Amino acid sequence: MYKTLLILRYLRKRRIAWVSLIAVTLCTALMLVVISVMGGWLRMFRLSFHGLSGDVLVQSTSMSGFPNYDEMVQAIEALPAVGVGNAVPVIKTFGLINLNNSITEGVQVLGYPVEKIGNVNEWPQSLYRQHVAREEAVEKLADTKLKLTAEEKAYYQKLSSNKAPPSFDLVPDASRRVDKLPDGVVFPELLKAKITYLPNENLLMWHGEMSEDERNQLLVLSNDPGYHADIFALFKASDFRRVVPNVRGRDPGTWPGIILGEGVALIHKNKEGKLSGRIPELTRVPVTLTVLGIPPDGRADMTAPPPARPYWVVDDSRTKVYQYDSQTVYVPFDKLQEDLGMTAQKAEDGTVLYGPRASEIDIRIKPGFDLNKTRDEIEKACDAVVQTKFRSGTLGSFGGYAVQTWEESNRVWLHAIENEKVLVMFLFGLISIVAVFLIFCIFYMIVVEKTRDIGIIKSVGATSSGVAGIFLGYGLAIGIVGAGAGLLLAYLIVHHINELHSWLGRAFKVVIWDPQVYAFDTIPNTMDAKEVTVIVIVAILSAVLGALLPAIRAARLHPVEALRWE
Amino acid sequence: MGMSNSNMQDTLTHRETPVRKPISSEIILRAQGLRRLFRMGDSSVEVLKGVDMAIRRGEFIAIEGRSGSGKSTLLHILGALDAPDAGEVEFEGRKFDVLGRSNLRNAQFGFVFQFYHLLPELNVLENTLLAPMIARSWLTFRSQKKELTGRAVAVLESLGMSHRLKHKPSQLSGGERQRVAIARALMNSPKVLFADEPTGNLDAETGVQIMGVLEKLHRDEGQTIVMVTHDRALARTADRILVLKEGRLQKAEETAEKAS
Repeated sequence: MYKTLLILRYLRKRRIAWVSLIAVTLCTALMLVVISVMGGWLRMFRLSFHGLSGDVLVQSTSMSGFPNYDEMVQAIEALPAVGVGNAVPVIKTFGLINLNNSITEGVQVLGYPVEKIGNVNEWPQSLYRQHVAREEAVEKLADTKLKLTAEEKAYYQKLSSNKAPPSFDLVPDASRRVDKLPDGVVFPELLKAKITYLPNENLLMWHGEMSEDERNQLLVLSNDPGYHADIFALFKASDFRRVVPNVRGRDPGTWPGIILGEGVALIHKNKEGKLSGRIPELTRVPVTLTVLGIPPDGRADMTAPPPARPYWVVDDSRTKVYQYDSQTVYVPFDKLQEDLGMTAQKAEDGTVLYGPRASEIDIRIKPGFDLNKTRDEIEKACDAVVQTKFRSGTLGSFGGYAVQTWEESNRVWLHAIENEKVLVMFLFGLISIVAVFLIFCIFYMIVVEKTRDIGIIKSVGATSSGVAGIFLGYGLAIGIVGAGAGLLLAYLIVHHINELHSWLGRAFKVVIWDPQVYAFDTIPNTMDAKEVTVIVIVAILSAVLGALLPAIRAARLHPVEALRWE
Repeated sequence: MGMSNSNMQDTLTHRETPVRKPISSEIILRAQGLRRLFRMGDSSVEVLKGVDMAIRRGEFIAIEGRSGSGKSTLLHILGALDAPDAGEVEFEGRKFDVLGRSNLRNAQFGFVFQFYHLLPELNVLENTLLAPMIARSWLTFRSQKKELTGRAVAVLESLGMSHRLKHKPSQLSGGERQRVAIARALMNSPKVLFADEPTGNLDAETGVQIMGVLEKLHRDEGQTIVMVTHDRALARTADRILVLKEGRLQKAEETAEKAS
């Protein structure tokens, strides 16, 4: 009983102990923040890479890709016994993109069979118009606080009810988000019935079909500064596209769709190379993509200009992985295959030399199967296809392919982050040893200062272990209170780390989290229960450890000598 | 163990009805061949050079000697605060080593020191409750708290300290602190009360009051008391005076007044 009483009294009366309490708090918070950010970073990496790549990948080792992917896909999909779900061929290459006839950038180009790609990865969920906007509409409909008007409700219902699979066609959207319509705007009689402005949502809506007359009226309005340029946006994209002159002999109405990573699509770089600004009307921006096909012999044809295909932007994608969002564009698989010369190659007499090529097959594995075992089975299946199709039994000049799990495919990144996490934890762990030493020093001081009290307690019959218990309990109390406060502090920091970071940026021009380095545009802000538990327990044990030697000294004190202590 | 709560209260508060308890012939504490050596670097000083003594239940013994004569050391050994280098001490016929020294200090002995030795962080009541708190777990103490607090208040009241229950030692005078120290020592109804120069730090008048308290305890309760002092006049309060000189007991004299 006296132990509890004395520990509580000492905690309250000995201000110096608060220093050790603060040390424990700060070290615990430090470790928790570091491990949460690093661990969260790793988790985000794993989740994003996994989400974008499928579970097992067959990847070409050369830029020219491998033929007979159709047979491979069939062979792979014939393996449901080892958990294979779907397999989808993908083309991965690099290209030059020109936006709006002004900016040209180098980008990674992914050729997706868009209707199937959702079977193997989560990429469709990154599309704004075809997924995110729908989710937002569902949320808005569910939010009773919003007080939607009937028109807004109808609009969101229309948006959320669209369950079409992802495509490279423009999603019909007869409404536009505007900055804000100037006060006093009155629409001409002809348009009044067709146009609605939703002030709460800053939405401009067009109802029904658009006639020639109406289109002309809108054109006039959009040139009137009293109105808003956004009115122009009410043109259906298809209508607009009809009036764009032919580019290189291709009718704009037949241009295929392209989906841009949001960094490519929306954001211009300013003079310092920082990202800023938006292209106001994404779907009205003509885009030209230039790619260079590499034939199996590795010699690209340099005499003819590389194919440059015009596209219409139909959507933008936000995967949250910086490399993807800032420099990847997605185009239809068959169009890219055509432009790269990866279609079936025939000899002059019309015999097929080799079939169409792909550079990658993404495979979904059902949960509960051992990825490594399945990967081996898939490799066998692919090898069997090659052996039946090629007399030599190998891909020959096409190089080869590697069958890897998603973890193996991204291991360079994942390992780097795992190692960095361990290193940072180790370094911060070293710092935390300072806290243990601080507790030791402070407790030693307290024991020396309290020597006579220890003598008194012993003279009234306390045992040596009882006296040790006071100081160990004192250390334990400081550990529990300190680690608890540290947990709270870390929780607050981690959950507001992005606000904190942007405030730091505004106030001191300090940018610690550079998305170009860390791959994600936001700092991870989740805490893992297991990691938190381990750190809190270690913090409490450290405090007890710091108190251990002073406690032993106190226990060993001779009562008479302790009483005589001056 | 010892006197009951009500008995204690009665005898200490109703001063006009003293019931003198006789000294029994039973030996409560017996020491044989006590030696104690203190090492100071290379040299060593033998403070006790073979002390034999026996204390009977209900006796008030004064150990007298000059400073450095080893009287405090003897008291510490008798009170189980220290262990002798040679020789043995028995309590009620059983060796200290068997009984356990911290257990003896908590349950059988009480101490009053020259410098009071109260815990500065605890108030008067908590200081008084120290011995029962040490002996009990948190849960047991909680369950008996009312009863124990009642007893502590009664003891403090008998010593005239009931109006200072919530005060810290730093807010008390020397005499008051010593009263609290006595209350703490009496809390567990000790079989032997050890007092080490109990008035050494007090002015003459307060010293007389404190001695009065001890004397009354002895007279009314039959409290066995072992007191160490360098003051012959103070020693005369006791039934028997043992003089310690150069590490040996010189003589055991019964004070004339008490013997009569």
